[in-house]
Amino acid sequence: MTKSSKNTSSESVLRSHTRTIYTAGRPPWYNSAGQQVEPFVIGICGGSASGKTTVATKIIESLNVPWVTLLSMDSFYKVLNEKQHEMAARAEYNFDHPDAFDFDLLIPTLQRLKVGKKVEVPIYNFVTHSRESKTKTMYGANVVIFEGILAFYNAEVLKMLDMKLFVDTDADIRLLRRLRRDICERARDLDGVLKQYCNMVKPAFYHYIAPSMAHADIIVPRGGENTVAIELIVHHVHTQLTLRGFKVREKLANAYLGQPMPDSLHLLTATPQVKGLHTFIRNRETPRDEFIFYSKRLIRLVIEFALSLLPFKDLVVETPQNVLYQGKRCATDKICGVSILRAGETMEQAVCDVCKDIRIGKILIQTNLATGEPELYYLRLPKDIKDYLVILMDATVATGAAAMMAIRVLLDHDVPEENIVLVSLLMAESGVHTIAYAFPQVRIVTSAVDPEINEKFYVLPGIGNFGDRYFGTEPSEEA
Amino acid sequence: MSRGGGDCPANGILDDFKYDVHDEYGPNLKVLPTNHEVKELQTILRDRNTSRSDFKFYADRLIRLVVEESLNQLPFSKCTVTTPTGAIYNGLKYERGNCGVSIVRSGEAMEQGLRDCCRSIRIGKILVESDAETHEARVVYARFPEDIAGRKVLLMYPIMSTGNTVIQSVTVLKEHNVLEENIILSNLFSTPFAAKAVVHAFPLMKILTSELHPVAPNHFGQKYFGTD
Repeated sequence: MTKSSKNTSSESVLRSHTRTIYTAGRPPWYNSAGQQVEPFVIGICGGSASGKTTVATKIIESLNVPWVTLLSMDSFYKVLNEKQHEMAARAEYNFDHPDAFDFDLLIPTLQRLKVGKKVEVPIYNFVTHSRESKTKTMYGANVVIFEGILAFYNAEVLKMLDMKLFVDTDADIRLLRRLRRDICERARDLDGVLKQYCNMVKPAFYHYIAPSMAHADIIVPRGGENTVAIELIVHHVHTQLTLRGFKVREKLANAYLGQPMPDSLHLLTATPQVKGLHTFIRNRETPRDEFIFYSKRLIRLVIEFALSLLPFKDLVVETPQNVLYQGKRCATDKICGVSILRAGETMEQAVCDVCKDIRIGKILIQTNLATGEPELYYLRLPKDIKDYLVILMDATVATGAAAMMAIRVLLDHDVPEENIVLVSLLMAESGVHTIAYAFPQVRIVTSAVDPEINEKFYVLPGIGNFGDRYFGTEPSEEA
Repeated sequence: MSRGGGDCPANGILDDFKYDVHDEYGPNLKVLPTNHEVKELQTILRDRNTSRSDFKFYADRLIRLVVEESLNQLPFSKCTVTTPTGAIYNGLKYERGNCGVSIVRSGEAMEQGLRDCCRSIRIGKILVESDAETHEARVVYARFPEDIAGRKVLLMYPIMSTGNTVIQSVTVLKEHNVLEENIILSNLFSTPFAAKAVVHAFPLMKILTSELHPVAPNHFGQKYFGTD
């Protein structure tokens, strides 16, 4: 059986002595039409204590690609009833048989990861043989590594694996490792470990695991020590990722020149006040306190305007004057805000000022200066965000690359496209087109649309770097 | 693409109404471009079951919208500025020399909304008391910036049922040499009767309201300040 070296199997992040995976930003995982590109799924199979996790860790370290998710089959052990729990205590429950795994949960989880959706992975407690009440959220993988003793057992699972590795370690070595692990680390007695090995672990290996080697693309002898094999694998994965990935931003900036504005764009009426506010915040001579003050006023107007586009229903109320009043009420009270850090955060206060007790999620997207591509660094969203109408906020939208990534994140969390309202102060024409083309049902709300984008992806005439001006972090000299 | 205000489909139904307003009340009375959201705010303020905390919250939202729209009535001139990207933006700027005047007590509810839009604007006050029997209004206190005669005045009063209080207040302003055409009245709810009376008395004054309705929500001041 595969009680691995931890009590709960919850890690989707690997930390090696040299680096932590997941800390760098994630480049786009969709094409310029906003459609999902499938992550690359590696399956790792092999007998108990053959070194599957070591191979996975080595691959991740040498891949040097952020946003890798490791899914362990151990997370999908079935919850044991009392009788089975007692059997397990006597080392008589067969953890190595396919029946011990919950394939009904495993298969849809892997399927969702494969199409880039957020998943909740159970956390299995090997002491109580049940699932923790909490789950581990996994989202946003460019590479998914799925490992387990029966990783190749199920035909549905096999179909989803883009690359199949079998870690082939000598049986004596595997037994030695098990003995050391179970006796030294887990204080089990020799008889129990040997009984379990002979009655269950060994037969399961010959019945189910060894035959599945036939499905493997690559067999890795000696496991993690085999650096030649790891190098070959990593090289292949890199080639595959390059074939799937592409540069999004440049393509976005140049498309759709001269097209009419789409129907999904809702532009705040350019009253003299709105024009006047724009004049203040666009002027590079405007001092920072005035910039903040007038930005806030404009943000408030845009947010109020965005709310007016929500669905409303008719309602009759009683007044203190004892007459009935024919009115309106918003048809949904489940509204939440999501800001795209950093500049989108400046709009949070206004949303809180108009929607009482609104929940706010955050998504951090930064442009990689080397590639010019947006990268996803961080996200925290309300757990049941799929039930909400989402007001997605960013101060300025130039190419639309960051907004597109944020919308993709929301869609991956099952928010219906028509429930997303993208709100900003200023957009470039090309950004409007990009978003409208990729996500025609997303409503786009802004206070002005400028015609151009310069080579540094700033809108022209524009506001400059809104976040830097608002938070006072402008570089001292113009680069 | 749809624009807010007039030609937004959500507001289309109100276009006919706008022409009626122009015919009946002349060119200087404007009703806040009404959309479903403004209607929702009005509904919450009208609803007798609204809690006081909600009442104040949503009243402040409606006040902010009315104040923003009132500021649109101020004169402006064209100007160009240079943006941080080095490009030119054709914008506009407002003239200096504005001030607010609130009619005590309910007009004071609108002062914060004005402050949120114009940080250090000067604000004068007028207290008008009306006779419980004759409904005749009488000014008992007025305090204005010294140079009010040269300023544009944003007069704040949220509810008008007869218009008497506002008529008395504007009379006082004119006694202080404020030009009638330099006064903008910011109002939330007005009866058609009051609107006509005020327009008739001061045809040059600009008036902005969010709703014309035969029944005025007279509970506004009490509920906003919590003195009922």
